[in-house]
Amino acid sequence: MIDPGGITQLDLPGAAIEGEARRPAQSYWNESWERLRANRIGVFCGALILILALIAIAAPVFSQFVTHFDPARQHLSDNFRSPGHPYLLGTDELGRDTLTRLIYGGRVTLGVAFLTVALSLTLGTTVGLVAGYYGGWPDDILMRVVDVFLAIPAIFLFILMSILFRPNAITLAAIIASVGWGGVARLVRGEVLSVKQRDFILATRSIGARDLRLIFRHLLPNVLPVLIVAASLGVGQIILIEAALDFLGLGIQPPTASWGNMLTNAESYFFHSGWLVVFPGVTIFVTVLASNLFGNAVRDAFDPRLKAH
Amino acid sequence: MIVKFIARRLLASVIVVLGVTAVTLTLMDRTRGAYVPGIDLNPALRPEDIARLRADLGLDQPFYQWYVTWLWNVLHGDFGRSMIDGSPVLTHILERLPNTLELTLTAVVLGILISIPLGVIGALRRGSKTDHALTVFSVAGFAVPQFWLGLMLILVFSVTFEHYGWPWLPSGGVTSPFGGGDIGDRLLHLIMPATVLSFFYLSLWSRFTRSSMLEVLSQDYIRTARAKGMSERRVVYLHGLRNALIPLVTLIGLELPGLVSGGLIVEVVFSWPGLGRLAFERALQYDYTTVMGVVFFVTLLVVAGNLLADVLYAVLDPRIRYS
Repeated sequence: MIDPGGITQLDLPGAAIEGEARRPAQSYWNESWERLRANRIGVFCGALILILALIAIAAPVFSQFVTHFDPARQHLSDNFRSPGHPYLLGTDELGRDTLTRLIYGGRVTLGVAFLTVALSLTLGTTVGLVAGYYGGWPDDILMRVVDVFLAIPAIFLFILMSILFRPNAITLAAIIASVGWGGVARLVRGEVLSVKQRDFILATRSIGARDLRLIFRHLLPNVLPVLIVAASLGVGQIILIEAALDFLGLGIQPPTASWGNMLTNAESYFFHSGWLVVFPGVTIFVTVLASNLFGNAVRDAFDPRLKAH
Repeated sequence: MIVKFIARRLLASVIVVLGVTAVTLTLMDRTRGAYVPGIDLNPALRPEDIARLRADLGLDQPFYQWYVTWLWNVLHGDFGRSMIDGSPVLTHILERLPNTLELTLTAVVLGILISIPLGVIGALRRGSKTDHALTVFSVAGFAVPQFWLGLMLILVFSVTFEHYGWPWLPSGGVTSPFGGGDIGDRLLHLIMPATVLSFFYLSLWSRFTRSSMLEVLSQDYIRTARAKGMSERRVVYLHGLRNALIPLVTLIGLELPGLVSGGLIVEVVFSWPGLGRLAFERALQYDYTTVMGVVFFVTLLVVAGNLLADVLYAVLDPRIRYS
């Protein structure tokens, strides 16, 4: 099984394939779900993301009962502490508890990531469906617009928009999504172009189905696998982009903690505490790693074309 | 046929460049009122002085007019003057470009030289421990934030090494501020930023070479080559690798714009005076002639890179038709 351009290669366990022969025919969704569940790395990484998300959602609970610190509360006499007791992961230049800030930062970072994925999928899918289904001049115009957005060096677009909008979590998601939707649109359009050629579309049309019904009831479900794969592969990249923007001072503004902006001043405090650099970075790394591996597992399970190999 | 293909792509490219500059300017225009921060508050300036200053910079015109003038000048090779320091934008760009190229070309060359052998080894020893190790390395490479990797390297090789009195690496700049500037000094400064930048290319390209190589090695002509008794070495390198590298050419061509913009974060982390950092700093100061100049320049590179990749791909692979 070859995955061109893929990140990992995760072979399906033989047992799942053997079992398939004995079972009665299953729906595509059931089959994909079974395949995903059989992938141990994928399940583990998916669970990890879920746990991180739950911790982030329950941040106030953790701050109250586990770390016993407030993310914004300064303890100036206790600044630059190394990991230990009572500051489990140490403190920053203002004596704020690193672990508590990481937990609260997770709210922002993960929230922005999921929102970005949702926004770029919605816009990209709509554009891709319209362009692919109608063809002709709407297709030409929409695809040229996509070309333009994909050709602007994304980082400049982010910088300009961040200066313009001084983002909070929601506008930051919109800014990142304004670049991400182009790729999704191309992907969906490509799928639609191939699905459109199939007989069942002709059949549906011949019994009098309208455009909207065709698009939402028949084309959309058929591009859904591609969307699921794109979404799960996208989360990790978006977290990286978001962290980089925060680091540059263009994303979430202090005093709100995010994994990226916790590193912004790190360089100035190298000599005081190297730990300040280590923990936020490790958190980003582990989260992105888990997202990518989970994304790969989802792709292996849901992309029907991989079954051919 | 190839001429028509190139002509069509060129036309599309012109549209893209126009679109990109228009979008950039529209965004910048929204920030225009803020230009020359605090100018309205300066008691030494009379309102008519402020108006004159703005008129000098062309800021009294509606932005579409400004855009047309700007575009006209750029087409004549005049990128205008920086709104901050009044020196020609082109001078700024040409001054920073060598630094950026020094950094990014080193990273790309390092990336190519290391990633292709790694990819080939992974493909040839598929499923072995080496292959698994390379996979882990590549997966990690995708997940590590570039700026953090840079910070960690500085923490270890500059801060900690210096602390223990070991030979340490400079943490920023192109050369040492005092008495530096020879080749050795430049190379020392180049090591860490180039490593960070090439790390990403390494993971991407070694992965790509591996799967491309696996695909090629499963082709019938490879079996034929083996069947007629060709040595494994020749099969792998002459028939295998040469064909496997074709798609990689496209991928590397697509990185051409990254030569300038992709290095931005690394340039910021390592205080590297390159183009990306220039655009970043000037954008924060609302110096739009400079930002527009750099964006235009980089977009040209994007478009040229895409075009080059397409044409090279078509030339290298006769199976591709221009349509």
